[in-house]
Amino acid sequence: MWKKLVLAAAIVFAHGVQAQTPETPRKGGTIRFTAPYGASFGGMDIHATNLAQDEIWARAIHRALYKWDSALNKPVLELAKTVSVSSNGLVYTYQLRDDAFFHHGRRMTADDVIWSFNRIVEPGKSYPGARFVRAIKGAVEVEKGEAKTISGLRKINDFTIEMTLAQRIDPAYNFNLAVTAIYPADEAVKESFARKPIGLGPFKFAEYVPGSRIVMERFDKFYAKGKPHADKLVIYVMGDAAARDVAFRNKEVDVSVLGPAQYVAYRGDANLSKSILEVTENYTRYMGMNSSFKPFADKRVRQAVNHAIDADLIIKKMVYDKAYRASGWLPTTSSAFDKNLKPYSYDLALARKLLTEAGYPNGFEFEITASSNESWGSPIAEAFIPMLAKAGIKAKIVPVDGTVLGERVRKGDYQAYLWSNGSGPDPLAALKCFHSATPRSACNYTEFKSPAVDKILDDADRMGPGNPKRDEVLKQANALVYDEAPYWFFNYNKAVLAHQPWIKGLQRNANEMAWQNYEDIWVDASSPAAK
Amino acid sequence: MRLTRANLVLGAFLIGAVVIGGVLAPWLAHTDPVMDANLMNAETAPGREFWFGTDGQGRDVYSRVLYGARTSLTVGIVSQLINSVIGVTLGVSSGYWGGWWDDWVSGLTNMMLAIPSLIFALAIMAILSPGITSLLIALGLTNWSYSCRISRAATLSLKGQGFVQAAKMLGYGDVRIMLTQILPNILGPIIVIGTLGMGGAVLAEAALSFLGLGIRPPAPSWGSMLSNAREQITTAPWVAIFPGLAIFFTVLGLNLLGDGLRDLLDPQSKARV
Amino acid sequence: MTAYVLRRLWQMVPILLAVALLIFVIFSVVPGTFASATAADGRNVVDAQVLERMNREFGLNDPVHVRFGKYVAQLATFDLGISLRSREPVTVVLGQRLWPTLQLTLAAMLLALALGVPLGFVAALKSGGWVDSLSMVFAISGLSVPLFWLGLMLMYLFALVLGWLPSFGYGDPSHLVLPALALCVFPMALLARTTRAVVLEILHADFVRTARAKGMSEMRVVRWHLVRNAMVIVLTMAGLQFGSVIGQAVVIEKLFAWPGLGSLLVDSVSTRDIPVVQGCILCIVIFFLFSNLLVDVLSARIDPRIKYT
Repeated sequence: MWKKLVLAAAIVFAHGVQAQTPETPRKGGTIRFTAPYGASFGGMDIHATNLAQDEIWARAIHRALYKWDSALNKPVLELAKTVSVSSNGLVYTYQLRDDAFFHHGRRMTADDVIWSFNRIVEPGKSYPGARFVRAIKGAVEVEKGEAKTISGLRKINDFTIEMTLAQRIDPAYNFNLAVTAIYPADEAVKESFARKPIGLGPFKFAEYVPGSRIVMERFDKFYAKGKPHADKLVIYVMGDAAARDVAFRNKEVDVSVLGPAQYVAYRGDANLSKSILEVTENYTRYMGMNSSFKPFADKRVRQAVNHAIDADLIIKKMVYDKAYRASGWLPTTSSAFDKNLKPYSYDLALARKLLTEAGYPNGFEFEITASSNESWGSPIAEAFIPMLAKAGIKAKIVPVDGTVLGERVRKGDYQAYLWSNGSGPDPLAALKCFHSATPRSACNYTEFKSPAVDKILDDADRMGPGNPKRDEVLKQANALVYDEAPYWFFNYNKAVLAHQPWIKGLQRNANEMAWQNYEDIWVDASSPAAK
Repeated sequence: MRLTRANLVLGAFLIGAVVIGGVLAPWLAHTDPVMDANLMNAETAPGREFWFGTDGQGRDVYSRVLYGARTSLTVGIVSQLINSVIGVTLGVSSGYWGGWWDDWVSGLTNMMLAIPSLIFALAIMAILSPGITSLLIALGLTNWSYSCRISRAATLSLKGQGFVQAAKMLGYGDVRIMLTQILPNILGPIIVIGTLGMGGAVLAEAALSFLGLGIRPPAPSWGSMLSNAREQITTAPWVAIFPGLAIFFTVLGLNLLGDGLRDLLDPQSKARV
Repeated sequence: MTAYVLRRLWQMVPILLAVALLIFVIFSVVPGTFASATAADGRNVVDAQVLERMNREFGLNDPVHVRFGKYVAQLATFDLGISLRSREPVTVVLGQRLWPTLQLTLAAMLLALALGVPLGFVAALKSGGWVDSLSMVFAISGLSVPLFWLGLMLMYLFALVLGWLPSFGYGDPSHLVLPALALCVFPMALLARTTRAVVLEILHADFVRTARAKGMSEMRVVRWHLVRNAMVIVLTMAGLQFGSVIGQAVVIEKLFAWPGLGSLLVDSVSTRDIPVVQGCILCIVIFFLFSNLLVDVLSARIDPRIKYT
């Protein structure tokens, strides 16, 4: 009798323990990813192109000095073991990893790091990463051709480098993308590198079929022990959302980035809704109002616009809840996000009152320059134009091609425009767009000017990146900007990634959901590509 | 022949329905196709209030299909008109006058024929701002080669004929001869080509919308409605079905009509099919 | 014959030059530059200095006549420039897409011939009957459906619902089936109709001849002439359709993620990678001109009455 009880208890106990053990990553199998932002990749030299589409494959093969950690929501050291900062915050000394190997077998040294950064600012070429490397002292001179190497980068020994910055910023935010990846100095000069890239990442290059897919295999000498888990990683180029939907439902691919219409469909399906990953991305959608267009010069008019549009309804009905209502420029994932800040209320009467106070009792007319984007383009304008009409404001859409929108906005050739811009991850960098010293061509598109905001931003700059009080101060700046309403604040994008039940380890990357750290992902035995 | 009559009747019936729908759209439609976008009604299934259901913005699909008929008919008719005018002008004149003008036009036609028309239209749409005028220009400028070839061949064979020689001897000017003697005789094949071409233009509009270069919303056009609805197939299939059927029946009707006309006007035509 | 072929090849040169000039002119006025297109999705803060250096590196700010001069000079050495996006030579980029394009378009044309010609033949033999009506209804329907719609329906049916074929991809023959099937419907329908028309002509001529009953050998000779004539007409139609198929392939390639020239063209237009766009169009035109030449040569082989002087 006792024996039976003990046995029974032991069995129950064993089951309980098993249920509590977290899933251990399974080794092997193939991860089948999709790159949804176009019909091709821009070649195999990641320094040359900065499109979101290309970062998707580059993260598997290459590494940069830092890596984005989605759990912590900030960049962390990757190719260096430690870093020490000087007291003035301008000199960073990195102890590089001595266990990082390139795919062709050679160990990474300080020479590779220095060579890669110098290549990015090569004078004859216009590599997009130059905008990040420019933060290093001496880089600008190399860009202009006045110096041969970056003076601010100094090799102390094979595994130590000293980086002197030109301004006080946090280099982690500059050097975590593959456009600043570290290349092997000896191999990258060869012509074959453009077809067969060699990097420091968890997967090594196997095959590239332009316009179709890139196939990569596990690199066994990757420095993170036990990673990557999968044997193979295939990234398929699939630009058409409808076709991607079919492929996903047909279990031919493991992940699919969802647009608003599909989000509804997947949410409504009993099975598919269980494996959707959502995250608020660092992108704010808005309508910019040109301060040089007379009605918009008055803050009350701008606030009236914010009150006259029922943004929640549009988000619910048109974007199918695939966005979060904006309450300020900084998104919810920003470290300086203030959840106590209330969004503008939908109040027609208040809007009309503000308009009358500002001298427009009968409203006014304006033009909205917009692209055809379904989430932040003319469809959105079509939805709120009737709402504005109720407040007496008549609006008309000026349709433009997506590539032209940016040009017009940067030149100030608009009255109002609809766009989606990055608002993170660094809150200071995002809010600097509202500093009066920032030119319109950079990102102060409406030529916003507020001495109060300027002062706070300057203070924050002086505080330096490590200072915990900085976020508090930035919250105030964000609130001030919100009150001034240079924009109609629409929403923060909700990135949605549908995944098959057998793929685990996906991360909620607030910068871009399609950018994953593949070494953390694995497929369990139920995948059709589990071998 | 029985088949000819069947083609003509069925084709005329289909096109007639489309034309009536388009012309009488303001009276037959229930709502304004652009402004009546009530988000509360988004994606309702077809029923008593919305015969064809509503789309993602809450617009009545039935009304948009009716107004879309105007767009598609305009695209079809105007683009083919442009095609025919350019093609016939170049074809007849080059056939009649010959010489360096003929060489030049033939060279131009060869070049135009060498570029697939969809690709050419794609290129032109890329440089013009999106909209119906750009579409008309793009389609009108890229499809005239066939009617040019046919007109030229017909002119060559006609210009040696008796009545043309007679007109010359009477002192008629070249242009007058081309307009009064030659043109009426090639009208038959040109009408056939134009009718068949209209169907092609409607399909081209759909293809360009799929590629992102067609008519942009909110303007109701079947091609953009169909293309934009393909992601809503699982949630709201009616948004795609009705414009799709509209395109199908219109193009079918145009093809049938064109076939019937060809059999009627020119039963021996070597330009068959 | 060789003289004819050489002359045709020689005549291609001015056509290609004219096309090259035309697309240069068209894309020199396209709104939006490559540099601005990289920032079009709003993800990247546009860095003014990088933009400016990009414009300088690729000579995008040079006046039109300078750019045109460079373009023509490069063409003369068969150099199509470099891709703005990847900095690879355009010829390399195009070369990677040639074989998939050939596969798709040839497969579609062969399917169209293999299915359309017999269909038209049978319809003509059983003219007036239900086979005839049904196949012609089918053919005319095939000419009335938007292509991307057809492709999407095929994808849903054969990949998702039935699970017989993969819905996208490139590699083994199973990936080719659905795209080629979608692409072949339009030319197949036209070829069916053409074949039916020419076969009917032959049959009617037969009928007339046997009515005169002048003797076996003459009838056979006449029929042989008509068959050859018919084959030439069908072949010419196939050749013309090939050009249309290459154009329509753009839609199918985008839908099925097929890595051909068409998908490269659409992608490059949206990223404003102009050298690649120009190269793609030139490549497509060359394809078409060569296929025309092939059709003409084959026609002359089939029907020696066709003499090319």
